[in-house]
Amino acid sequence: MSDKSRLKEVLDHGGFAVTAECGPPKGADAQVILEKAELLRNRVDAVNVTDNQTAIVRMSSLAACVLLKGAGLDPVLQMVVRDRNRIALQSDILGAAALGVHNILCLSGDHQRFGNQPECIGVFDLDSIQLVQVARGMRDKSAILGGEPLDKAPDIFIGAAANPFADPLEFRVTRLAKKIKAGADFIQTQCIYNLNRFETWLSMAADRGLTEETFILGGVTPLKSAGMARYMKERVSGMDIPDELIKRMDGVPREKQREEGIRICVETIWRLKEMPAVRGVHIMAIEWESAVEEIAERAGLLPRPVIQKG
Amino acid sequence: MITAEQKPIEEIREMLAPYKRVLTLGCGSCVAECAAGGEKETAMLASALRMAARINEEEVLIHEKTVDRQCVKAFIIPLDDIIKSYDAILSLGCGAGVQAVSEMYQEVPVIPALNTEFLGETRDQGYWVENCLGCGDCMLYYFGGVCPLARCSKQILNGPCGGSVEGRCEVNPDIPCAWQLIIDRLTRFGALDRLAEIYPPKNWARKQGSGPRKIVREDQQP
Amino acid sequence: MTDSRKRTLALFYCRNIPESSETDRQAIEKAYQGRIRLFPLPCSGRLEPVHLLRALEAFADAAYLVACPDGACNYFEGNRRAKKRVERTRQILSGIGLEPERAGIVIGSAQTLRTLAQLAEEIFDRICEMGPSPVLKGGSGGDPVSPGRGEIVYDNSRTEAH
Repeated sequence: MSDKSRLKEVLDHGGFAVTAECGPPKGADAQVILEKAELLRNRVDAVNVTDNQTAIVRMSSLAACVLLKGAGLDPVLQMVVRDRNRIALQSDILGAAALGVHNILCLSGDHQRFGNQPECIGVFDLDSIQLVQVARGMRDKSAILGGEPLDKAPDIFIGAAANPFADPLEFRVTRLAKKIKAGADFIQTQCIYNLNRFETWLSMAADRGLTEETFILGGVTPLKSAGMARYMKERVSGMDIPDELIKRMDGVPREKQREEGIRICVETIWRLKEMPAVRGVHIMAIEWESAVEEIAERAGLLPRPVIQKG
Repeated sequence: MITAEQKPIEEIREMLAPYKRVLTLGCGSCVAECAAGGEKETAMLASALRMAARINEEEVLIHEKTVDRQCVKAFIIPLDDIIKSYDAILSLGCGAGVQAVSEMYQEVPVIPALNTEFLGETRDQGYWVENCLGCGDCMLYYFGGVCPLARCSKQILNGPCGGSVEGRCEVNPDIPCAWQLIIDRLTRFGALDRLAEIYPPKNWARKQGSGPRKIVREDQQP
Repeated sequence: MTDSRKRTLALFYCRNIPESSETDRQAIEKAYQGRIRLFPLPCSGRLEPVHLLRALEAFADAAYLVACPDGACNYFEGNRRAKKRVERTRQILSGIGLEPERAGIVIGSAQTLRTLAQLAEEIFDRICEMGPSPVLKGGSGGDPVSPGRGEIVYDNSRTEAH
């Protein structure tokens, strides 16, 4: 397993990249991660590891990334700014690079109110865009925030998230531009159910030349049930799930709904593959990593390319 | 102004339990504005405490007095004449007032009757909202008069985040998304391009970089 | 008055209530031999929770307010504010373990315009069903001037800065 970012290599070579997501356990059991690694190895180019998602205490993202690396996968370290100040964030970036974790995704993080430690202080010393900028400075100028030099710059491939479905729509593209200006090498979007709205956002981004300046990966999440679709529509902010989709899920008997969810996901990926501005797909199969293989297979994404060394 | 709310009376009574001669001290400034510790509220609380004492057969003397401001030494000094009569002060001032009084009368325990909350405005009658963090480095000009530190739940300087929906914050739908407000405001001024800039990380040293802060103005000193 | 009606009521009222002149007030107080003490107000909205609280503290088993019907307030909202303040007072009473019914508001009905005397009787009958107030141990004693028990000092004067 090369020490470089496989994700970057696939994208640099012009391939359609595939990434997936993996949530660390609420405990100290490394085995949980290793089992997920087995489900994903060779089906994807890189695997995101969430960082105390929803403000729930889990095994640290960096630790889980190192376990995945040891199992032969290319991890993407998700870093939220909610829990750590600029000292800790920069320190973790150096640690990640030293441990062979070369992909970093910079995020705000869910507010602590949603998690299991609601009485904690939310740090928010940097915001996600500033973190992208700081990471880029560390890599390209070999310096921390403020200019003090590092003795060895971290070799990192820097990503940020984008949500084409949150408000205000017009400003979303400006925000994308800011992330790219700050140094985002790649962008993973929030999961797409409303392809029309996604295409509108994409064309607005393309009009500003942004799709040439960064690698955009479209996010997808297979629905497990009509109930899940409804929940996401009503309770999760920043999601756009068209009514037709809910109707479609409702129209299928309960025991067939997972199958339908996968079918919808696969159809979405085929649509994304037709968009030249989309350079890959990010499959977020929440607690359903076993579905990734089937989705990747049916979406024509397997086998993953072999990167020639040398 | 500084806002506060009265502690539950059981909590106040618990703190007052050891004392027999209590001065309930109100404040005529911020806490009067937010109806927590002004003259009226002080009278109400003192009366309620006296009645509670009688119901529970407790021997305690509870007097009441309100000063214009508890956080200014010159306004507290008149208490010098009467302070010896009391073994505790129940202060309805904000945290600053409680501590200023405590600093003046170091032998007398000063008990807070209020929970001090935030720096904010009276948006409407009976409705107060937080709008300032006291960061020591005001950037309101850049954000159209809406502070992204005090009013964005995640203190984002390059917002909004992905949880802004229909102008509401994902943390609590009662909270307007500060970034939606900033965008609307700057759009109105024709200054939306100001947001194309990447605002650098906040200098928090102006808030906590040297510990608790102070201001010294020699031109104001005697 | 029979022994069982040894309660004291503090009754605050808006001067717009029918037959609530100074003469009427004195007549009612005389008839009840000091068991009802009446406090006229220019508007029920003038009432503050502290008035009810101090009455309960000093001498009253119950403190009530009579206010004008909805829409009939000369000052438009006085009666609405009064309602909220009485409710606040009741919350405070609950907070110290006193029955919230010891404070209350009675709205004059738009249809049956009862006189002050009629309202006083109705409210007094109601409060007589309550036990004596535990605040006034040993019966309704004293008034704010010469309290029956303990010291009550209402010096809430503002101090002036030097």
